[in-house]
Amino acid sequence: MLRSPAASAERDTDFGAAFLVEIDRFQGPLDLLMHLIRRQEFDIFDIPIARITDQFLAAIRGIGTTDLDSAGEFLEMAATLVRIKAQMLLPRPIDAEDEDPRAELVRRLLEYEQIRDITARLERSEADRSRRHAKGWVQPRQRTPDSDLPLDTTITEFLEVACGITLPEPIDTDHRVTPRTVSMEEKATLILSRLADEGRIEFARLLAPFRHDPMHGVMTFLAGLELSRRRAIHLQQARPFHTLWFIDRADAPLEADQEPFATMYPTSDEEARTR
Amino acid sequence: MNAEQIVEAVLFASDAPLRAEEIARADETLDEDRVEDALRALRSHYLESTRAFDLVEVAGGYQLLTRPEFAPYLDRFDTVPRTSRLSRPALEALAIIAYRQPIGRLEVEYVRGVGSAGVIRTLQDRELIEVVGRGEGLGRPLLYGTTPRFLEHFGFQSIDDLPHPEELPVVLRDRSLPLLPEEEG
Repeated sequence: MLRSPAASAERDTDFGAAFLVEIDRFQGPLDLLMHLIRRQEFDIFDIPIARITDQFLAAIRGIGTTDLDSAGEFLEMAATLVRIKAQMLLPRPIDAEDEDPRAELVRRLLEYEQIRDITARLERSEADRSRRHAKGWVQPRQRTPDSDLPLDTTITEFLEVACGITLPEPIDTDHRVTPRTVSMEEKATLILSRLADEGRIEFARLLAPFRHDPMHGVMTFLAGLELSRRRAIHLQQARPFHTLWFIDRADAPLEADQEPFATMYPTSDEEARTR
Repeated sequence: MNAEQIVEAVLFASDAPLRAEEIARADETLDEDRVEDALRALRSHYLESTRAFDLVEVAGGYQLLTRPEFAPYLDRFDTVPRTSRLSRPALEALAIIAYRQPIGRLEVEYVRGVGSAGVIRTLQDRELIEVVGRGEGLGRPLLYGTTPRFLEHFGFQSIDDLPHPEELPVVLRDRSLPLLPEEEG
């Protein structure tokens, strides 16, 4: 059971130390809250609400007004925290069956954590399945029934067109597999081995030995994206067209391995909102 | 032509998993039991002869799939179809829907703490979830559930392949589990 709020005398005197979090990195208010709790190793069943509330408010202070939906989600959580904080300050009857004001929040956090765990498992199953291939499948061609097409052609027109036709080379319809000239896997191996030595490397430097063939640039870039998607490396670019860094996962900034993707690209929710 | 060969031919020609009773349609001499026997024989045959593919049970059906260790070789070819993976937010929403189906959008959003209309649409477009009914509440909200494609996408035989609550390390074990479909009542 949850301990009574009185038992957890909250000290937020030492809250003054800079507590910077990048809000964009989080998938929502629950994610941010969980991060704050885990980072300070707080007991989830006895969250120091006053401290967490202050930290949460500080973290969302800089939140942009460009994405109102997402700002709203964080603000709603902030309001909830402030309400709980106020309830904790009020004296409560001792006999009470009364629930700890934090109970619902704790329940949501635990549920969220469990979902995150299941999500990680689903991700692994998805990766395993993607390593097995079924027989290739080609989309059948759409056929338009002849009766739907009205005929409006004279024989002269027909002859004119027929005389102008040069027969095309017969198209090879065989299902054929063609290897790429430059393999992405090779590039991925190259990136990982360079990162193992150097920790971080500029995209441009990886290309230096292959200037003659633009395909190397394309495949190196794709390999970088793929590795980032597999959460093997972290990509960093200060602004568009600026130096693109490939960073070893171990050298990546704090928690970069958690969501490298979300920091760079909008999630589909965010895409939907901007529509 | 024996049963094993017929079943093999049907599986080879199919691009999606087939159930035993579907395979049995290939010939009058076949029924579900004979197909099951043939499937078992084929599977052990493939294992013994170290083929690069094996017979896999997926979404309640059977399919010939290459063994995972050959993925690196196939990845070098553009024309081998690649399954695109889902984003974290989409997987989160899918996890919630899988465990609590039928479930409405608002409940998914409450659990995740963020808007989920976009990911739900993505999951619907990819036919991983579908509308399975309407809820009782205000406006009779649409309720979503998972599809057979969902099982295929993750290589599950059935919904029971999802991790069970007792396997989940989170402290929820001894608490009421709001995530489980059977507790939804």
